[in-house]
Amino acid sequence: MSVFTLSQEAKEAALLPELVALTERHRRACLPYRRILDAIGAVGPYERVADLPWLPVRLFKTHELRSVPESAVFRVLTSSGTTGQRPSRVYLDREAAATQPRMLAATLRAVLGERRLPMLIVDSRSAIRAATLSARGAGVLGMMHFGRDHTFVLDEDGGLDAEAVKGFLTRHGGAPYLIFGFTFMVWSHLRELDLSQGVLIHSGGWKRLAEQAVDNATFRRRLGEECGLRRIHDFYGMVEQIGTVFLEGPDGGGLYCPDFADVVIRDPETWQEAPPGVPGLIEVVSTLPTSYPGHVLLTEDLGVVHGVDDGVWPGKRFSVLGRLPRAEARGCSDTSARSAA
Amino acid sequence: MSELSSELGVRFPDCRDMSVETLIGQVSGGEPLAVGDERIRGFLTGFGRRLLSPELARRHPELASLGFFLRPSELTRLLDGPRGDHLRAPRGLVFHVPPANVDTVFVYSWALSALMGNRNVVRLSPRAGAVAETITRTLRESLADADPVVAATQRIVTYDRSDAITAALSAACDLRVIWGGDAAVGEIRRHPLAPHARDLTFPDRTSFAVLRAAAWLSASAATRGAVAEGFANDAYWFDQAACSSPRTVYWVGTASDCDVAREEFTAWLARAVAKRGWSVDAAMAVEKRVATYGLAADGDAHAIDFHGNALASVTLAGPEAAPRRWLGAGTFAHARLDGLGELARLVERRDQTMTHFGFVPAELELLAGALGGRGVDRMVPVGSALSFHRVWDGVDLTAEFTRLVTVIS
Repeated sequence: MSVFTLSQEAKEAALLPELVALTERHRRACLPYRRILDAIGAVGPYERVADLPWLPVRLFKTHELRSVPESAVFRVLTSSGTTGQRPSRVYLDREAAATQPRMLAATLRAVLGERRLPMLIVDSRSAIRAATLSARGAGVLGMMHFGRDHTFVLDEDGGLDAEAVKGFLTRHGGAPYLIFGFTFMVWSHLRELDLSQGVLIHSGGWKRLAEQAVDNATFRRRLGEECGLRRIHDFYGMVEQIGTVFLEGPDGGGLYCPDFADVVIRDPETWQEAPPGVPGLIEVVSTLPTSYPGHVLLTEDLGVVHGVDDGVWPGKRFSVLGRLPRAEARGCSDTSARSAA
Repeated sequence: MSELSSELGVRFPDCRDMSVETLIGQVSGGEPLAVGDERIRGFLTGFGRRLLSPELARRHPELASLGFFLRPSELTRLLDGPRGDHLRAPRGLVFHVPPANVDTVFVYSWALSALMGNRNVVRLSPRAGAVAETITRTLRESLADADPVVAATQRIVTYDRSDAITAALSAACDLRVIWGGDAAVGEIRRHPLAPHARDLTFPDRTSFAVLRAAAWLSASAATRGAVAEGFANDAYWFDQAACSSPRTVYWVGTASDCDVAREEFTAWLARAVAKRGWSVDAAMAVEKRVATYGLAADGDAHAIDFHGNALASVTLAGPEAAPRRWLGAGTFAHARLDGLGELARLVERRDQTMTHFGFVPAELELLAGALGGRGVDRMVPVGSALSFHRVWDGVDLTAEFTRLVTVIS
């Protein structure tokens, strides 16, 4: 039942025909995508997953890319883009909308088990109540499907709600339970609590912790020492490939790709696949995007593959190293009016 | 500094903080200057000489062009103007708002205004780069040999967002010069001027190149090399984001000539770019992919070819599809025209510089006449896009920086 089963060779063999078929499906059904492939001269046959044409993920902010007629769109997902940027828009038909939570659940089952666990949320209830839901709030809401007896660690003012946590631990502290939060929230608020039966799932990136010189090893060590947390899993995912998450293995040795997805680290100079140990831009591939051409995406995140078929789970083992800065040009025109006042 | 603060940082003639009121009081007092004032000319030529020092020119080659612009013979030429029944007089106090990202523009703007006898306050962005630092330091050093009237009448200041300071300087000046594009113009214009004062604005502009395919195909290797190098300089110096850097390249000729010429030109350009060592980083490389794939998605680009990350060549669906927006450093959109005259219907108000190759003066003049001022303020040979001139964006800056006094006896 696990979705972390395929060796790299087996995964390549399984994914390639599916991704090729998706490429042709989107080529037929999505005119802007077809125009891009025509302009860059992308024609098969593709012998490896890394040979498939990729789209820059930012195109989902600038263009409407969907492979189903407007009438078949069941849900439109939007990302909260960086300030001043348009959000990404991702178009799901009924089938894609049904598939993505199912595959996300299958992925998380690898660390949560079959049963829905009691859930401690490292955030405050107001995060999911705001009239305009923040990305963080949306992330919390999405994850709440995977738990029960939801208990918020923080009160309305953002301080630790010791009573609530104590109550939760009294009820559920003797058996495994789920803890979810954004990485920097977890780091800021989970201190000096006995969470030894918890399974922590966190995400959201390391930027704010990197500013405090906190890396993953430090993060795991301190949560282990202070809270007795041993089961800690970071994950990496994006709205443009909704349902697909790359999950950290139990030993903290890197992120792993579920059987229906993979990463290709590309050298941004040659655009060829970088060998293990050499950092580059992360390309994410997944068979889930069937209603929009998001199956092969070049992100603006930097990453590195540490090893292949050498970890606790098979396939590529990788880390996200940070984000590419936005390109800034010298030029006559100021990009922001704010600088002028 | 807060929105309401009136404290600003002076960077010239010395470095210290003061209120905008004090600054305006200081710069409004003292002796008047004349158009072409010898004391200012002496300072400018001394400053220009320092910029041409081998050590500075090696570190910042763009400062050498500025130094060249400020040599004595050029300053004399700049002072050529109307004679006869009109006497030129300074405008008074000029407030300059240069763009943050072109380090040298503020100097041209200020130097011309000072030469015309104006008192000046230049607002340098706190985001201005290392070159701006070098320039202000060199200006301060040049004061040692200058008449005290220079320090009394000229100010370079810096402040972070402050409506109070911008409003005070706007109300006090006789002419406000706004570089930096549409957004900057809109932002600064919220602050009223005195009734007699006016704005000189440099809004967003874009530029293109036009080459005759037959001329390229019959050109010698030496000429092709020179054109490619000149074009690379025009485009790559400011990451192709300068208002006068070419973005679209129009080829005039038959379809087959234009296809061959475009291919060859791109190969020569790739060599010129490699020779100069121009390169782009990963962020810029991604930017170019986003921009060019976007053009293709919209149906505006039929082909996208990458020659490494530094050079991307886009074949447009047609000349009407020419994008005006920045597509990332080293991205050229090519289109074909049957004749130069077709540009008359394609040019827009915001098109500024047309760099050209392979046309005779009569053809260019014919086009300028047909355009009738609806766009294209400069037609200059490929390689000269960035050369600053007193006539810029269709206005003679030396005239804008002065008033005319009619004297008929």
